[in-house]
Amino acid sequence: MKQYFSKINQVITKAVWGIWFLDPPKDVSLDGYRIDNTIQYTDTVITFYFSVVVLALVYFIFKYRSRPGHNAQYDRGDSKKNLIATVAMGLLVFFSIDVVIEAMSFKDLKEAFWKFPKGSDVVRIEVMPQQYAWNVRYPGPDGEFATEDDIVPPLNLMHIPVNKPVVIQIAPWDVIHSFYIPNFRVKVDATPGMINAMWFQATETGEFEIACAELCGNSHYRMKGYLTVESESEYNAWLTSLAEEEDEWEEWDEWDEDPLEEVTIPEDWGWPWKEIR
Amino acid sequence: MSTNNESFLTKYIFSTDHKVIGKQFIWLGIFFLFFGGYLSLLMRWQLAYPEQAVPWWLSWGIFFKDAGGIIDPDTYNQLFTMHGTIMIFWAVTPILIGGFGNFVIPLQIGAPDMAFPRLNMISFWTWFLSSVVLLASYLLPQGPAAAGWTSYPPLSSPMGGIPGEGQTLWTLALVLMGTGTIMGAINYIITVVRLRAPGMTYFRMPLTVWGLWLTSIMNAVFVPVIAAGLILLLLDRVLGTEFFVAGGLASGPGGDPLLYQHVFWIFGHPEVYILILPVWGIVSDLLAVFARKPAFGYKVTAICMSTICVLSSIVWGHHMYTTGMSPLLGKAFMFLTLLISIPSSIFFLNWLATLWKGNLHFEPPMIYTMGVVWVFAIGGLTGLYNATVTSDIYLHDTMFVVGHFHFTLAATLVLGLFAAIHYWFPKMFGREINRTMANIHFWVTFVSMNFVFFNMMVLGYAGHHRRLYNPMEFDFLKPLLGLNEWITWFAIINGVIQLLFIFNFVWSMFKGKVAVRNPWGASTLEWTLDAPLPHGNFAQTPTVYSRPHEYSHPSLTDTDWVPQSEPIPGTA
Repeated sequence: MKQYFSKINQVITKAVWGIWFLDPPKDVSLDGYRIDNTIQYTDTVITFYFSVVVLALVYFIFKYRSRPGHNAQYDRGDSKKNLIATVAMGLLVFFSIDVVIEAMSFKDLKEAFWKFPKGSDVVRIEVMPQQYAWNVRYPGPDGEFATEDDIVPPLNLMHIPVNKPVVIQIAPWDVIHSFYIPNFRVKVDATPGMINAMWFQATETGEFEIACAELCGNSHYRMKGYLTVESESEYNAWLTSLAEEEDEWEEWDEWDEDPLEEVTIPEDWGWPWKEIR
Repeated sequence: MSTNNESFLTKYIFSTDHKVIGKQFIWLGIFFLFFGGYLSLLMRWQLAYPEQAVPWWLSWGIFFKDAGGIIDPDTYNQLFTMHGTIMIFWAVTPILIGGFGNFVIPLQIGAPDMAFPRLNMISFWTWFLSSVVLLASYLLPQGPAAAGWTSYPPLSSPMGGIPGEGQTLWTLALVLMGTGTIMGAINYIITVVRLRAPGMTYFRMPLTVWGLWLTSIMNAVFVPVIAAGLILLLLDRVLGTEFFVAGGLASGPGGDPLLYQHVFWIFGHPEVYILILPVWGIVSDLLAVFARKPAFGYKVTAICMSTICVLSSIVWGHHMYTTGMSPLLGKAFMFLTLLISIPSSIFFLNWLATLWKGNLHFEPPMIYTMGVVWVFAIGGLTGLYNATVTSDIYLHDTMFVVGHFHFTLAATLVLGLFAAIHYWFPKMFGREINRTMANIHFWVTFVSMNFVFFNMMVLGYAGHHRRLYNPMEFDFLKPLLGLNEWITWFAIINGVIQLLFIFNFVWSMFKGKVAVRNPWGASTLEWTLDAPLPHGNFAQTPTVYSRPHEYSHPSLTDTDWVPQSEPIPGTA
């Protein structure tokens, strides 16, 4: 009997915990808080409006339920007064939710997400997703992409220094993929034939997962990359060690089942860095 | 129009009677509703118990035998692709637009039949053919389509990595389905424009007809767009053109995959409203019938619905915020999308105001309708997250989006079509549907579907992205397994209780209490006729004197309603 109780208790705890205390992955980015704030504001106001609707429904169901002696009050609701009242309430909803989140969103886009960082301390990375892995490329000592000295780390590995802006340019080899790092609240599609860009900045060191958010085939679910955020010296040491390493595809041997066997990719897949206005 | 000389074949199979065609659509739709629902349960099983054998009561001992009962990744992709496609195009569309559009429009506007009865029949059989083509893809060795219901190329292109010809049949089936839809749409539009009874002005039409009419206009305008896109995709697949292939898979510089997305969503966003407009109309009418008072702000509701139609055609870009669109475009689409909340809030308030000071009868159609009000409020409000560029950057392509559109499409539409089925059942089959079973069915469905779809949004907020065969591959998704299990069990409850609905439906058809002519005291024209309705409907074309819901008019004394075909005493 006791074990049943403990089992039930476990199930209930799991359920309650699961439903009410799920948080998004920890935000470790400079601007992720902006998205969290917009979501929280929207949460608050729509919870308020939904509560009003529910209270009204409950009240109406109780107050106006059919019962002997109770009649409906004829009202077509098409007087000018009614029209003004409904339109006014529609506008109230519009200005209290939509206009506010729109302003927040525009501001965030202008100040962060669509304001690409410029300057010499920007880390530039090219990413080429393919079914079902992430190719990553660093410019190397000459600072130019698509040249001999580009640094190509092993598949699915990306390192970035902490507290420095990182700009990513992305174009896939085969089908549409989407570069998604939940801990940074960012996502950008990779569409064949075009180069997309996105930027973010880490505020904490650690290892985070990169996921593919756009269906890209039967192994979409295990298209996964590893983003390591480390101090600048560690990052530079990592790049240097890679540059020295001749056989950059060595790590492939670790795959027990190579998903890329039949895929041919040019080794020099990079492209000259596209300047963003 | 004569009822003589009708063989079984012309009366029940190749009938030109709009009522029979409507029922054919409803049967087809109910079959696919169960089929698509079953696919979703298999999907849910895999999400809750990744790579564990499907239990016998879910696989019926016949599916997935080769893999020892385990769903493999290819099959999983086929499951969600076919679930989405079937639910949208072969379940909800046939029931709401094909079924109730056919059955209700001529009856409510006082017409003898549709404007083009034979075209109507061809529309159904084109649809039927399309569903045969779609199901035929299950007979292929490599199974049906697996590129998602949106089927973005190049994944859906021949080089995209999905083996077999299932995707070709999928595309072909959708083109056929689109052809049937366009035929139906033209028919409904002309019927409403030309065949309204004397006195039935546009602003005396029931809001159901308004909804179905606007839907048909949207169908006639936007289905050709997707048909064009799909034909290009078909050419890519069959003839090796490369309209939508670029990058490494293209043989030359290539075409443009993004073009398909624009074409798809130019249709795809209006499609959401195409599906939901009939439900809005039905809900507006049913609230008035069961609150025994006129639909509050009838004209405003009709105008708001029309405004939303116009707005919905210029907001498709909000499905593509993460494709790297220009900032100007992103902001414009966001602004236009958010504008929709003004007309939406206005008619939603009109719904609430219809209940205000009413005399609420909680008959089965009414409880389903109230359910729609609840789920549509959630579905509409949660759309705000996805309309906003910044929050959509995080939530796009996550389970949040899945939860949101299941509130608007699945929950709202399914409850809406249950409301419609329970409401018109007496007129269709001359019998009453069992109330106890309907009540049980409503409550179990309502609670379980809310649990399922709400928690999908919770999953998405926690970062769970979409179309994942096995979420356990990602460390940040591992804590979500428990919630996925809960959702699955509620989804299974939801699936099982639908058996009660189909039992009630069939049982009541044959054994239900014989219905009176007008069990709900509704004033629209279909309730002036006795079931079974003859081919040709009205013995004498009715004349319409009033709006569709003049309930509890002050000059009425004995009853609280008069049919639209009779003047309200003392006002004529």
